[in-house]
Amino acid sequence: MLTILKKEIKAYFSTPFGFIFMGIFLLMSGIAFTTYNLMGRRADIYGMLGIMRTLSITAFPVLTMRLLAEERHMGTDQLLLTSRLSVVDIVVGKYLAALFVLFVTLLANSLYVAILFMYGEPTLGAILGSYAGFFLLGASFTAICIFASALTENQVTSAIAAFGMLFALVIIGSLSATVRLPVLKDLIRLLSVTNQFEELTRGIFRFGPLVYYLCFSVAFVFLTIKVVEKRRWSQAG
Amino acid sequence: MIQVRNLTKFYGEKIGVLDIDFTVQQGEIVGLLGPNGSGKTTIMKMMAGHMPPSSGTVVVDGFDILAKPKEVTNRIGFLPEAPPLYPDMKAGEYLHFIAAIRGVARSARKARVERIMEMASVSQVRDRLIRNLSKGYKQRVGLAQAMISNPPILILDEPTVGLDPRQINEVRQLIAELGKERTVILSSHILAEVSLICRRLIILNKGRIAAMDTTENLASGVTDTGRFLLTVKGAPAETEQVLSSVSGISKFKPIQSAGQIKGGYCSFLVENEKNSEARELLSRALAGRGIPIIELRSLGMSLEDIFLQLTGD
Repeated sequence: MLTILKKEIKAYFSTPFGFIFMGIFLLMSGIAFTTYNLMGRRADIYGMLGIMRTLSITAFPVLTMRLLAEERHMGTDQLLLTSRLSVVDIVVGKYLAALFVLFVTLLANSLYVAILFMYGEPTLGAILGSYAGFFLLGASFTAICIFASALTENQVTSAIAAFGMLFALVIIGSLSATVRLPVLKDLIRLLSVTNQFEELTRGIFRFGPLVYYLCFSVAFVFLTIKVVEKRRWSQAG
Repeated sequence: MIQVRNLTKFYGEKIGVLDIDFTVQQGEIVGLLGPNGSGKTTIMKMMAGHMPPSSGTVVVDGFDILAKPKEVTNRIGFLPEAPPLYPDMKAGEYLHFIAAIRGVARSARKARVERIMEMASVSQVRDRLIRNLSKGYKQRVGLAQAMISNPPILILDEPTVGLDPRQINEVRQLIAELGKERTVILSSHILAEVSLICRRLIILNKGRIAAMDTTENLASGVTDTGRFLLTVKGAPAETEQVLSSVSGISKFKPIQSAGQIKGGYCSFLVENEKNSEARELLSRALAGRGIPIIELRSLGMSLEDIFLQLTGD
């Protein structure tokens, strides 16, 4: 697993993918920071990340589009599958590499926090909580996107599918405020990934959203593993 | 030892390969031969665990590829038709990565990669990105990849494709060298190539085994006539007369070139019945007429002919 992790992290920074993701993410968060924090004169990071949770759905597909789709396209997936690595090693290794890039990106993002500390009086606990919440949300997004990457051997298709799935989740999230039908309301609340973020980062730490995100990520990584395993034994050519 | 049992692969409705059944002993070099689309690649992919068979199975050292895939793939080094390379990696870095995932111990990895790069002669491109390598180098990096964990079985799908004549020679020597202590199965559609390296051939046609035997047996078994080339110094008409009078000669046809006519020579392609004394009788008859023989050369039935005969309609 470590071998795959190392290889993928290296690949992120020897190809444009890692930089494109960081570029898009930092550009958008820069805009969000300027409008929300600087122009709005607010010292919490929550608002900026709140904007980012919807904007960033354009960035995550870039992070994951090549992970599994390219391997299949190049025929190197067979190389990995017939090696000593297990499918779990391969998928989880790649997933963790994507999370590493996300982590580095959020680390670069902390420059904004430094600015907040220079000119205002933010609460460190709240800021750390917000970032942790966003990282968990990002982990869920990444899990959905890596699943999309496993479905196809075309990177563009994988990116579009990932974007579509994330977009649908955001739409569902925005519906949850308006739908009042009893069962549907709960169902939508359950599916709205972005709304859990709000609960987690409003300053009160709760286990519910934390467990929710972890389960969500694990579920999609698990599905990805199953897709890869299934294709290993049923592919036509 | 590898046993291929009733291996069958369907691509949708179309038959990829049907009921392939053969055994390869340890230390053998076996060639899979067939025209394009005859199922060579399909069989090799299934043997290497890259593709599940529709039915049938492959057993390597007692391990069934369907039940214990890792036990089988750990024993096999596979060079697919298109080498599985990461274009964004450097050649050396790539081989290190493969060594790691193929289970070469960390302490032995560096030495192993060095040794393999030397064997496949890719040391000089180790620091170049694979995407910038020529086809020949890519092929050799792919070959190095297959050998890296020192597997007892090598499956090579068209290993010399894209190489220049000198490199082809090198790779052939390398395979012959490897075949001394390993089992090698290689495919090709070039007959001259496999008949040079392989002791046993499996000839495929339309997804089925058309013939399977040692190179010598294949060459002698198919036909019951012998062929030879005859060049004499004398008039063609007179020579033809002699040829038709000798018993045991079934067919002959003149081959003439301008140079031969000028020098008073003429050549014939002669077919004789097997085990007849046609050549001996012919030389006596020609000597009797005072026609000197310049050349009398046995041609045999070439493998090329056999191949065409077996795979033709």
